[in-house]
Amino acid sequence: MRVKTIAIAAALLLGAGLPTIVQAQSPKTIAGGFDVGPGGFPKNFNPLVATGGFTWLSTYFEPLVIWNAGLTELEGDLAKNYTVSDDQLTYTFKLVKETWHDGKPFTSKDVKFTLELAKNKASGSLLAARLGDIASVDAPDDSTVIVKLSKPNGSFLSILSQVLILPEHALAGMPPESLATSTWWSTNPVGTGPFKFKKYVTDQYVELAADDDYRGGKPKVDVLINRYFENPAAAVAALRAGEIQFTYVETDDAASLKSDANFKVIEGGSYVVNYIGLNQKVDLFKDIKVRQAIMYAIDRNAIIESLYGGAAKPANCGYVAPHFVPEGLEAYAYDPAKAKALLAEAGWNKINGDKPITLLTYYSSPQAANVMAAIQSMLAQVGINVVPRVVDTPTYNGIVYKAGTPDWNEFAMVYAGLQNGPNPAGINPGLNKSQIPPAGFNTMRIEFDDLSAAFDKALGETDASKLDAAWQDVCKVMNKDLPWATLWVANRYGVASNKLKDFIWTPAPGGGPYAAHPETWDIQ
Amino acid sequence: MLSFVVRRCATGLLMLVALSLLIFILLRLAPGDPIDAYINPSVPMSVSDLETLRDRLGLDQPLPLQYFGWLHAALSGDFGYSIQRSGVRVLPLVMERIGPTALLMGMGLAIAIVVGVAAGIYSAVRRNAWPDIAMSVLSFIGISSPAFLTALLGLYFFSVLLRWAPSGGMQTAGAPFSVTDVLAHLILPACLLSIGHAALIMRYMRASLLEVLNQDYVRTARAKGVPEFWVVIKHATRNALLPVITLIGSTVGIAIGGAIFLESVFNWPGMGLLLVNAVGTRDYPVIMGATLVIGACVILVNILTDLAYAFVDPRIRVA
Amino acid sequence: MMAVAAIDPPAARSTKGPLRRALDRFIENRAARAGLFIVIPVLVAVMTYHWWWPYAPNAIDLKAMNKGPSATHWLGSDGVGRDVFARLLQGGRISLLVAVSSVAISIVIGFLVGAIASFGGRVVDATAMRLVDLAMTLPPVIFLLVLASIAGTGIAPTILVISLLSWPILSRMVRARLLELRERDFVVAARGMGAGLSHLLFRHGLPNCIDILVVYATLQIANAILLEAGLSFLGLGIAPPEASWGNMLNLARSTVVLEQYPWQWMFPGAALVFTVLAINFIGDGLRDAFDPRSDLN
Repeated sequence: MRVKTIAIAAALLLGAGLPTIVQAQSPKTIAGGFDVGPGGFPKNFNPLVATGGFTWLSTYFEPLVIWNAGLTELEGDLAKNYTVSDDQLTYTFKLVKETWHDGKPFTSKDVKFTLELAKNKASGSLLAARLGDIASVDAPDDSTVIVKLSKPNGSFLSILSQVLILPEHALAGMPPESLATSTWWSTNPVGTGPFKFKKYVTDQYVELAADDDYRGGKPKVDVLINRYFENPAAAVAALRAGEIQFTYVETDDAASLKSDANFKVIEGGSYVVNYIGLNQKVDLFKDIKVRQAIMYAIDRNAIIESLYGGAAKPANCGYVAPHFVPEGLEAYAYDPAKAKALLAEAGWNKINGDKPITLLTYYSSPQAANVMAAIQSMLAQVGINVVPRVVDTPTYNGIVYKAGTPDWNEFAMVYAGLQNGPNPAGINPGLNKSQIPPAGFNTMRIEFDDLSAAFDKALGETDASKLDAAWQDVCKVMNKDLPWATLWVANRYGVASNKLKDFIWTPAPGGGPYAAHPETWDIQ
Repeated sequence: MLSFVVRRCATGLLMLVALSLLIFILLRLAPGDPIDAYINPSVPMSVSDLETLRDRLGLDQPLPLQYFGWLHAALSGDFGYSIQRSGVRVLPLVMERIGPTALLMGMGLAIAIVVGVAAGIYSAVRRNAWPDIAMSVLSFIGISSPAFLTALLGLYFFSVLLRWAPSGGMQTAGAPFSVTDVLAHLILPACLLSIGHAALIMRYMRASLLEVLNQDYVRTARAKGVPEFWVVIKHATRNALLPVITLIGSTVGIAIGGAIFLESVFNWPGMGLLLVNAVGTRDYPVIMGATLVIGACVILVNILTDLAYAFVDPRIRVA
Repeated sequence: MMAVAAIDPPAARSTKGPLRRALDRFIENRAARAGLFIVIPVLVAVMTYHWWWPYAPNAIDLKAMNKGPSATHWLGSDGVGRDVFARLLQGGRISLLVAVSSVAISIVIGFLVGAIASFGGRVVDATAMRLVDLAMTLPPVIFLLVLASIAGTGIAPTILVISLLSWPILSRMVRARLLELRERDFVVAARGMGAGLSHLLFRHGLPNCIDILVVYATLQIANAILLEAGLSFLGLGIAPPEASWGNMLNLARSTVVLEQYPWQWMFPGAALVFTVLAINFIGDGLRDAFDPRSDLN
């Protein structure tokens, strides 16, 4: 009896002790909430259907060209260099030497395969439309790829930065239709990046292991983990409990963690312009005086000071980057008296009076709720009665994209954001009359001829020296015609533990991708 | 007895089919479909881009066809693929989630039953003395507090501040599986879950025991000189447990879908979280599959409770 | 003629009717009294605050954000400078409105279904009860989530969602009570005399179910308040900037608010817990009051 008890006790102790023994030899691990926040796309592993989450995807997949960490220019990634022909129709890429995670060599065949797959609607690729200008892809030798376009496209390289190259030898055998539902992505994907896929615990976390023969050098840490969280607050709790070393945080959390010596706050521009969209199919906003009144009624500086802690730039057109903003723009400084006068001139009482107008949004963070409340209050002061309505993403998209004729009153006004950089063409789909659904993304049905003309001119501009001026023209027209009530471009924040060394992160829209060099990240 | 079980199972199956139809209709009434969940509204995308994806997933077919296609497959055990998670089959996904939910529920209920019954007996015996009053007040507060508030406060105190427990998940990310690891992650949410249930069980136990202690046979036992301890434990408690069993039965039914707040706060990979995420992304196959599995569990528990009732009290004839 | 000594008829004993006795039992119950002492001031405060409190619940003040309790803002201010006390009272109004309305609707549905099931005959009974079983088998969570996604956020959808969740249990209780009642003499007599269904239901059924309905209503109001809070926590229910106790508590999700601005969630939390507590006390008191055997305990 005695011996039995001792034996049981010993077994229990051993059982309890084993995990500790294993942990003592545990590998160097960095864990983070890489898909937390607006740039993330949790639980998705298929880059062809990704609208975000590129920060994480680019730790094990790589594109041909990639933005640098400052998001100012494109540099080569899998393409060691590239040349563009004078007529801007032919792009020649020279590829690096690299091996796939399963040992096979990376060649131009893989690039040709990936581009054709991404262009092919049958694979469910969401890049198909944007790659529509590709006329042909040739691979004359193993390390050269020549892409010919059917017409010049200034955005082509930045579109390419989101095409992550996939292995031809692994995927060519599968019919494209089956890729959207294939288990390959979440069980054993093969990429070229510094880390290789190890395992995915459904809905909990993804684990990557270092790829020792990566061309940039053996990664300094052995394991990279991406944990999924329900919302940024849960990620912050885990960060403060020491379970992860990095996450995206909301503005309020960033402010409170600034004073914590254990953490470093990373701040960056979001490249998303927040605006109030005015549905052009309802009669309320047809008169420009009404649209101007809305701009004058909202005290953008006060909101930026108090709700964003000053970390946002007011936008008087779709851009805030200095080289796209011309001189002499109307600043629409806060002037409620002027707003009321404009509304009276436009006959607002007859147009709408104080009937409630729905202000729809998909932003569900507490900060966004506060911003909506502030906007509602400011508009109410001049006599515009808006009712904020926060819905989740599928509901929002279901409303604005509804086939046939949607109910315009359900989204008479929206509070939304659109990516306006690093490539300024980003806002074209939201404002150009050629982009009205189902062809495009212009959900507010904006059909301003001079605006569309300005966009078309800038998109087709082949002379690089005239590009900035062309975008400035777009800005001028937006500022005058006010298709949107543009608000601001805010900063976004990430917080990293001070134990991390050489950690690079920037709040790029959609997660980038950008050159984060995960192989250099280290942890004490 | 056997005919009763067979009849209940048959009605149960019919109800599951009706349930699936009801959920299917409700889901289609909700605005937005799974593809709408994919689109990030800040990233430009056109409707035509997504039409192909819709085709791939069979979302363009007429509704009755979609339902009967699903039903046909479901009857042979194939609940389809999750739309949000590429290539993951629904049935294994749902079954994978039952374990953690059962673990959390089981642990939480076990704690609640032990604490509730013991506290109930103690309160009944020490009726109106200050421990009884204190426990009554605490139990009332336990019933009246919203579950998510206790969860948030518990998380903050025990995990973020004191670091006694992990802040979420079922296992430590990246670490090999170990029972102690899971237990460490389980203990805090299970204790928080048990608060509300323990309070309710305590009140029922107390009331029921008080009523039983007034009965004649208890008085007889006392008069015969049986020690008070045995009177309470052996004679009274057994009979007082009846209403408590019913309560536990109905609690389990609620509990299966009901740990949702705790699972949400603690990111516990159970059914509740699966459903919240699935509804948020309009992942129809997962919602249908999970609802059916939960419905089947509830029906099963109801049948078992009725059988347990009959077992404990032989006077009850199950109709 | 014999003079018969006048005998006074025995003095009529003043017997209290059952309702009066129930009321007495209720008043004597200390917990129930405490409940009333909490609920009545809360009700008065939330109904009348706009007469005596200077701040409006939705008046933002970007210069007074996140301030702690002070002489001007008794309970502090929130993330956009709105007064917490005003929002607390407005939130109470909304939460109670939602709770009471949803309970009223579910009582109507529950009573009608239970009553029709009991008086309607075997087939009607069986179908109705299967319907009730179906409603009860449906995990409330999914029902909640899906209904809320369809109906959206806001007061009316929330009332709808909560009421649709709670009627099955009531219908069961009503049915059990009325089944028992159906066999009583006076009901048999009434039916024999040709009484119609509505006469039976409202003249005989309803008065005999009052005690179940009252107890259910009270306890369900408490439940509905908690349910609304839960819905708002999940991002459904009442959405900001409208105030409700539930969505004010939702602020506690962020550790920043939890730690640094506790007045923004502690007061709604306390208000919610105490109100629900008080209503539970009252409900229990009512239940004991209507049960004549509780005097023996």
